[in-house]
Amino acid sequence: MTTFLQLLFNGVALGCVYALIALGFTAIHRASNVINFAQGAFLLLGAYLVSTAAVDHGFPFPLAVILGLVAMVVIGIVFQMLILRRVQGQPAFTVVMITIGLNIIIVALVSALFGNAERGNGVGDPWGNTGVHLGSVVLLWVKVWTIVVTAAILLGFFVFDRYTRYGLATRATAIDEEAALAAGIPVRRVNAIAWGLAGALATVAGIFLSGSPNVLDPSIGDIALLAFPAIIIGGLDSPIGAVVGGLVIGLVYELFDGYSSSVPWLGHNFYSIAPYIVMIAVLLVKPYGLFGRPPAERV
Amino acid sequence: MAVSTSPQPSRISRPSPGTVAIVLLLLAACTLPFVLDAFWLSTADFILIAAIGALGLNVLTGYTGQVSLGHAFFLGIGAYTAAFLADHGVNAALWIPGAGVAAGLVGLLVGPTALRLRGLYLAIVTIGLVFLGTHLFVNIPAITGGPAGRATPQPMWGPADFGGNGLTIAGVSFDRNGCYYFLALTLLALSMWFVHNLMRTRSGRAMQAVRDREIAAALMGVNLARTKLAAFVVSSFLAGLCGALYGAFLFHVDPSQWGLLLSIQFVAIIIVGGIGTVWGALLGSVFITGLPTLLIHYSDSVPFLQHSAGQGGIAVSDATNLLYGLLIVVFLVVEPRGLIGLVARAAGSITHRRRTAAVAVHPSPLVEE
Amino acid sequence: MSLSKKSARLATCTALVLTVAACGTGGSGSSSSGGGTLQTGPGIDASSKTITVGIISPLTGIAAAIGVPLTKGQEAYFKHVNDNGGIDGWKINFVEKDDQYKPQLHVQFFNELLPQMALLAQSLGSPTTKAIESQAGSAKLVVGAAAQASAFVSDPVMAVIGTPYAIDVANGVDYIVNQQGHKTAKLAMFYQNDDYGADGLKGYTAAKSAYSFNDVGQVPYNLTDADLTGQAHTLQASGAEYVFVTALPTFAAKLVGTAAAMGYFPHWVFQGPAWSEFLMTDKGTAKDKPTPVFPVLAGLGGGSTWVLGYEAGWGDTSVPGMKQFLADHDKYFAAQVPDGYFVYGYCEAEMEVAVLKKAIESNDLTRQGILNAKLNLGSLSFGGLIPPLNYTPQLGPADRQTDIAQVDTTAPGFLRIIQPYFESSAAKSLSL
Repeated sequence: MTTFLQLLFNGVALGCVYALIALGFTAIHRASNVINFAQGAFLLLGAYLVSTAAVDHGFPFPLAVILGLVAMVVIGIVFQMLILRRVQGQPAFTVVMITIGLNIIIVALVSALFGNAERGNGVGDPWGNTGVHLGSVVLLWVKVWTIVVTAAILLGFFVFDRYTRYGLATRATAIDEEAALAAGIPVRRVNAIAWGLAGALATVAGIFLSGSPNVLDPSIGDIALLAFPAIIIGGLDSPIGAVVGGLVIGLVYELFDGYSSSVPWLGHNFYSIAPYIVMIAVLLVKPYGLFGRPPAERV
Repeated sequence: MAVSTSPQPSRISRPSPGTVAIVLLLLAACTLPFVLDAFWLSTADFILIAAIGALGLNVLTGYTGQVSLGHAFFLGIGAYTAAFLADHGVNAALWIPGAGVAAGLVGLLVGPTALRLRGLYLAIVTIGLVFLGTHLFVNIPAITGGPAGRATPQPMWGPADFGGNGLTIAGVSFDRNGCYYFLALTLLALSMWFVHNLMRTRSGRAMQAVRDREIAAALMGVNLARTKLAAFVVSSFLAGLCGALYGAFLFHVDPSQWGLLLSIQFVAIIIVGGIGTVWGALLGSVFITGLPTLLIHYSDSVPFLQHSAGQGGIAVSDATNLLYGLLIVVFLVVEPRGLIGLVARAAGSITHRRRTAAVAVHPSPLVEE
Repeated sequence: MSLSKKSARLATCTALVLTVAACGTGGSGSSSSGGGTLQTGPGIDASSKTITVGIISPLTGIAAAIGVPLTKGQEAYFKHVNDNGGIDGWKINFVEKDDQYKPQLHVQFFNELLPQMALLAQSLGSPTTKAIESQAGSAKLVVGAAAQASAFVSDPVMAVIGTPYAIDVANGVDYIVNQQGHKTAKLAMFYQNDDYGADGLKGYTAAKSAYSFNDVGQVPYNLTDADLTGQAHTLQASGAEYVFVTALPTFAAKLVGTAAAMGYFPHWVFQGPAWSEFLMTDKGTAKDKPTPVFPVLAGLGGGSTWVLGYEAGWGDTSVPGMKQFLADHDKYFAAQVPDGYFVYGYCEAEMEVAVLKKAIESNDLTRQGILNAKLNLGSLSFGGLIPPLNYTPQLGPADRQTDIAQVDTTAPGFLRIIQPYFESSAAKSLSL
């Protein structure tokens, strides 16, 4: 039972990180109908910026986080304005490949600027590998904070989405970009905001992924790949789907990690592909995810 | 798109001047092993081998419009099938095509599931395929050698020993690089000829129709499921061939090689070369496979690059990756038709035509309205 | 490096000759010198008395953390030899190529260097070296394999120095079970799910059949794992008191940190590559900012961390070879921080110089001659920097010894040797 509770808690915390990444994907997809394959690179760069500010330059951690967030919001917006605007109206595949190109560029830049050595101090977080002990279940501070902050961000996101003008504009753009343009909605600005938001969400995810006991190294960006099943399970356009998908993936991952040694025929490290298996199973039943809608087709 | 009889496509499709050009090109290609040193010849081998796989991806993504990031999985299937067949005493004349057939069959198996999905959903499910593949390759040690990987067999035909001393005919020696060069060149030429003709058949036209407008194609009587599946199988077949050669040329394969990065590399090749073109696969392969080599080889003469261990400057690997990413972005933004498009533009023949979508250099009859 | 470019250009003009040379049949010659007739092969310039050797190593990219110090170590020894009269007057010319740890680039550079080198002084990594192993074999080219995959030790052309990972683990088990007498201690293994991890696991299972110790679990991980709670929990639940860690530093730290947070403090036994001084402080030296796992690795809260190693402790002047080594370090690469791979590279070059010296003594600098020299080298001592090795025509591991260091906050490079080189009975009988 202890084992189960421990895995459950860690699964929820990991699921929150995936939910943050997935929400970034969803925000961008709703605004510009593309999947941002550079989300992993955003996460990597965000974490390195915070790490540099906090560990190398000795900024207080909260200030470092704010600097990292601001930088990543700007990078997201600038990328949208400089590159993506030029390919608006191109097939989704074109835009997706541009984000793959961007991913390659950012990863190379991080390596060139910060090197490849592992950064033992991570993002210089103040939680320091300690936690609360509930019986024999350990709630690490970094994971407690992950859950609390993610919950707050999700709440904020839904309030923004539901009750602000930009939220309304985003939803309108998601439904029909041309109609939104015709109605006078600043679609470009909506797009840019979505990219900025995705940069910020990725940075938060990066901070929680490299907080102790974890160590920061360039491979951290690859972790975003596991958020793909999350968005697909939830449906590309649904923020709620992203959150549910993220949590499902986190739990599936942790529980298989904890228990799959008792099912040897699944092979070593089955947990690392379990999310993809769940994704394929969901798609067989619902080709547009649990919360997604099939796009309208025009002839 | 305007009806066009521009010289660029017709150079490929019309026999008279085109055939001459191709024969000349082939002859030139045959002389390369005599003028290149071992370094450049082995580079050429990698280029030709990758071009075969890229051609396969072009059938699926370029001609049929189905975005796949799962190409690496099929390369892996090809490489391991080749090794498995050779382990059981099958001759290379059979295990090379056998690798393609096995990959094609796997394509036939997973195709119906994958192709239910559209666009980006398909792209992500094919990523899942890559992860599943890696998991399988790690966990079937009897065939794959498990995580540590396995040695790959070398073709042996009579006096031609691809693994060792190569071949000596009539006093002329070819080392293994030369042997692989001619093998890959032959297979690539055959594949290009096959794809070129395929796109002029009923099925080929159907594929392009699906790409250009799926619903319109369906209304005109194109069987969507069958057409997509056919493209998937052809694409996987060529990926299998490519994987078999790639694995054999490297002497050793392990599961980590068949990852997402390899898939992305193939997508990059067709983007840079020219999406939906036969020659684009080769041109893109020259660029994407050859460029890092070029940069590393001449890194001494490039400013700002690190010249030796631990010096200042940008590391060469970072520089090549930067350039690689930039190439993808720049081509897509500036010249979505890739190098083929640049060639056409340089020829000055189609400058009056407006750039359209990131597809179609060959005018497809179904969209010429 | 300019030499390599020049000769590449030259080679373009004489492609046919090269094709023949690459087949290993050409490029030989002979010249008279002193007592007998010296046979020469590719990479030997008898007129200027230079021997060209190749180095193909990840000098940039993700594996550069190993490739760069290792290559510098080799350079340091070669420079030392050249500055002290060479090998009987022969100078060593080394040509470096950066393969970024990609098998494909490795093959390309190997093909480039093959016609112009007498031996490949460094080929780093298992997947990369396997890609050229067969070609090197047919060219009879001796390869300094900086790869501890145990399979290489039975290939005649592979000159491996150091103890294979599998044997390190077997020795580590012996140290706990026999030397320290913890016969009933619970042991477990945490390993990376690839060839590196498989090699560590091989030594663990071999030791298990030799000593029948109390094995409570073998736990793998993937390079894409975001979280090691499941693994840490499995290990904790198994009650393992000693955990062998065949992992990369990032994951080793993640595991140790996660376990510590759960209140689990076993003795961690790291495979050499799992250790990095950057796990302790942010710049890798004692005066820098400590990391959150610093106290755990140093055993300040219980447990301890050992590293299965191979080299003498950096700066330990009781080792005879250390003085010269440190002098060469200061002379050629003073900026290099204490690093085991630098020592390893230095010794690898020392081995290669010994091989070339023997080939020169037997008047045969052809590839076959150098290979014969390697096969019949016999025992070679490194002044205690690493244990002596032994090359014979019977092949097998050059040595089977391991030393064990404990992570210590005060030692140079944070490592203090607690058990000098030794060889266990399981290691003796382990067949690779």
